[in-house]
Amino acid sequence: MKRFIAKLLFIAIVSTIPLNASRAQRPSAPETLIRNATVLTVTHGTLQNTDVLMRNGKIAAIGKNLSAPNARVVDGTGKYVMPGIIDCHSHSMLDTINEGTLAVTSMVRTQDVLNTTDVDLYRELAGGVTTLNLLHGSANPIGGLNTVVKIKYGRPASEFLFPGAMPGIKFALGENVKRSSQPNQPGVTRRYPNTRMGVEEVIRDAFTRARDYKRTWDEYREAAKKDKNLIPPRRDLQLEPLVEILEGKRYVHAHCYIASEILMLINIADEFGFKIKTFQHVLEGYKVAKEIAAHGAGASMFADSWAYKIEAYDAIPYNAAIMTRAGVVVSMNSDSDERARRLNIEAAKAMHWGDLTEEQALKLVTLNPAIQLGIQARVGSIEVGKDADLAIWNGHPFSVYSRVDTTFIDGEVFFDREQDLARRPELAKERAALEQAEPNRPRTQGASPQTPRRRPSKHEDDDVEVEKP
Amino acid sequence: MPKVRSRLIVASTLLLLFAGASKAQRSAIDTYAITNARIVTVSGPVIDRGTVVIRNGLIAAAGANVTAPSDARVIDGTGLTVYPGLIDSYTNLALPEAAPSPSPGGGGGGGGFFLIQQQQRPAGGPNSTQPVGLQPEVMVEDVIRPGGAEIESARNIGITAALTSPRSGIWMGQSALINLSGETPQQMIVRSPVAMHVGFTPLRGGGYPGSLLGVFSTLRQMMLDAQRYRDSLEIYERSPRGTRRPETDRSLAALIPVIDGRMPVVMLANSEREISRALDLGAEFKLKLIIAGGREADQVADRLAKQNVPVLLSLNLPRRTTAALPEADPEPLRVLRERVEAQQTAGKLAKAGVRFAFQSGSMTNISDLLGNTRITIENGLQTADAVRAFTIWPAEILGVQNQLGSIEVGKIANLTVTRGDLFDRNGRVTNVFIDGRPVDIRPPAGGGGFGSGRNSLSGTWTVNVSLEGQGDKSITLSLQQEGDRLSGSISGPLGAGEISNASVSMGDVRFTASVNVEGQTKEATFSGRLANNEIRGNVTIVGSSPGTFTATRSGQPN
Repeated sequence: MKRFIAKLLFIAIVSTIPLNASRAQRPSAPETLIRNATVLTVTHGTLQNTDVLMRNGKIAAIGKNLSAPNARVVDGTGKYVMPGIIDCHSHSMLDTINEGTLAVTSMVRTQDVLNTTDVDLYRELAGGVTTLNLLHGSANPIGGLNTVVKIKYGRPASEFLFPGAMPGIKFALGENVKRSSQPNQPGVTRRYPNTRMGVEEVIRDAFTRARDYKRTWDEYREAAKKDKNLIPPRRDLQLEPLVEILEGKRYVHAHCYIASEILMLINIADEFGFKIKTFQHVLEGYKVAKEIAAHGAGASMFADSWAYKIEAYDAIPYNAAIMTRAGVVVSMNSDSDERARRLNIEAAKAMHWGDLTEEQALKLVTLNPAIQLGIQARVGSIEVGKDADLAIWNGHPFSVYSRVDTTFIDGEVFFDREQDLARRPELAKERAALEQAEPNRPRTQGASPQTPRRRPSKHEDDDVEVEKP
Repeated sequence: MPKVRSRLIVASTLLLLFAGASKAQRSAIDTYAITNARIVTVSGPVIDRGTVVIRNGLIAAAGANVTAPSDARVIDGTGLTVYPGLIDSYTNLALPEAAPSPSPGGGGGGGGFFLIQQQQRPAGGPNSTQPVGLQPEVMVEDVIRPGGAEIESARNIGITAALTSPRSGIWMGQSALINLSGETPQQMIVRSPVAMHVGFTPLRGGGYPGSLLGVFSTLRQMMLDAQRYRDSLEIYERSPRGTRRPETDRSLAALIPVIDGRMPVVMLANSEREISRALDLGAEFKLKLIIAGGREADQVADRLAKQNVPVLLSLNLPRRTTAALPEADPEPLRVLRERVEAQQTAGKLAKAGVRFAFQSGSMTNISDLLGNTRITIENGLQTADAVRAFTIWPAEILGVQNQLGSIEVGKIANLTVTRGDLFDRNGRVTNVFIDGRPVDIRPPAGGGGFGSGRNSLSGTWTVNVSLEGQGDKSITLSLQQEGDRLSGSISGPLGAGEISNASVSMGDVRFTASVNVEGQTKEATFSGRLANNEIRGNVTIVGSSPGTFTATRSGQPN
């Protein structure tokens, strides 16, 4: 008996050693095997009674009766496995969204203002979302630089950054940019531009300056080979990203609504020799779907937000279907921390309104936004070798009755419904204890605390500048 | 070892005595000796019973076997403890026009200052190329003034020296380390400039940068511009003939020591993400970084230790300021955690090997400083480390470790003398020496130790306000004191309403209230002194002539 206990102890000690060691250096994700699920691969159809093996953060195998003796096994019977949803237009986790003082703010970077503790991120994970395209707001014709992130909630900001994602930038056209919803104030000069003509001029002017800037540097580099005493030109953080656009190294994500301004931007892009990667919102895109397809641009839109502002009066719910059939890569985005939790339903609407196939509809929130962000080699579908970013749903994700059980990113669990429910009593206990702590006790005198009120949320076209606390 | 040391000290004392004697005309009042005191040297072991000799502004001797020189004024230190003079590592002391302190809870050096910014724009640097708020060439050295109630309050709790930094801005300007005595700015300054200061508050009024996004880009662009300015100047120096002269730029010139890593940069950052962003920016430009505020610094302790970035940790500990209201939203768990965890930050930083120094951080009541330190000690900080965080650590971080921060021969004679332990509830500051001279300090209002006199102002007061040209008016003031915090309301012929920015510190009472004067609602600031159950002082009303007031008790708290 004694020997038996000693043996047990030994085993216990030995088995904890690697665990502790690996915890110290953050292990690569544990191996997980999802058994006997319905797998929506997106690229290879729907596979019934199929296993998915995740190893080292990647999808290692897809098939029937897979064997993985070291893997944690999750029973997927009756469940659906879907690639992690990609939101191509988000403002989550940004401490501030607009630098609205100038019409061209290509020098500002959303990466500087990330808030990894934003609770919206957790809610998005609970909606099966794993990747976000964090965009600057739409206050300026040329806005700030974007950040593509995986929602690694609880980790430092550096671990959120999507490795290898194409750098991008926000452009914006129309009402928000010309400030038409803001009243004139006596004595206050309105920021230029105030018309769509002005918007075009601002963009053309910026790219003209960028072209000159590039030439100045090229000439300097050439001349500096001979003359060591040359003073270099000034580095201009506003123009450098525009030069990257001209060189095809940065994607343009352009907020737009009406057909004429879409054509205007395509013309400028053609004139300067660059491409628009996505038109965002693009509610009148169906009118110029052919031109958008010919330019090679994608479209990222709402399913059905018609007529909520003048620019959106001509919007129709068939937009996604019409543009898909015209050959445009289309995605559904949220532009809202609330809508982001149910992008699966936004995709499903395109089957209802435009008769897209299930696979086409799935692509709207998976592979297509991946293509629009230049990350399709890593995410967007369930294929061997891709990142293990996926969610297990308790029913088909296109049903309003379905919900997410578990969300994986790089093979690690970042949301798990059962774990969440299990933690709640513990959190309630913690809250009770904290409320008794001296610094948390209410004062006998002092201002009244806030009474319940509607939670402010950002509107769908990021015009409203609500800064999160 | 102690023997060798004391012998050395004796020797050096003698030397100094002889040196002193040769300067015949020096007045004897320059020499003091505190005898039979417990001496917390910080640099060495605690001396249980010894003497500290001060001469000519410097520490001339300190040790168990030191005897008081015959020409010294002797202070019997029996039962007293001598500490190195405390250093507050981030303040706005000695700056003109101190604004009313913002409410606490915003935490640290960060948040608080920003509120003030809108009211008080510093005068811009002359011929600057940059707008106000983006002028790194601004130096507090140029604007500090000696004296004032805030400096007195700080000295009353044993603060002898302080880093004083510009109040606002993105590039806020350059700070100075000052002694809290002296009749001229020149006498006060120990070191200037000490550091460049960066706040991340956007400019107001519609100019760029108007958001945090733009703030980062502006900081980056100006540092890049400074690099180019530096390089251009070098090239021009090399061959002025044939090179076009770079335009002079005081703002960029002020940044050159910063980007060269010669001048430290203090960045205001409290939350984990604010600190991480500051660390990122510091790493990007290889800056010699210091974090001020640091409420959640423990969460990035690894990075701070690895990048060797010290923290000027605010003791403005957050606490709930609102009353209970059943129908209110419960406070978020995050907020509840933050308030509790802020008390543990100091202890965690010490354990993680992060260098830090304490600062008062726009605290409403400077007299909370030692009490809040006690809270950090109750939450895991060693008492000895708490002393270091007020003495040698700030001295090291701010580059004055050869002048201040410990009781060692040759250092500036800044001393804080207490009866009882410095952070003890019953401790009391009895003497303060700055630059070798005793300064007057006033005991706390209620007698007793720090934070005593609790509830001493609570109750109803009848206030007789005498305004020039308007006769006397009698108003009712209802006060509630909780620790050193004060709240309440006024009512009567001048209108009714809550008081704000109220504080009581060592008998100094201060609050503001909206009053109705000549048919207009105006902000009135009452500041007075409590003595014999009466508060007497002055009323300042914006846009009106000043007046006086006397408050007498008309009722006890109910």
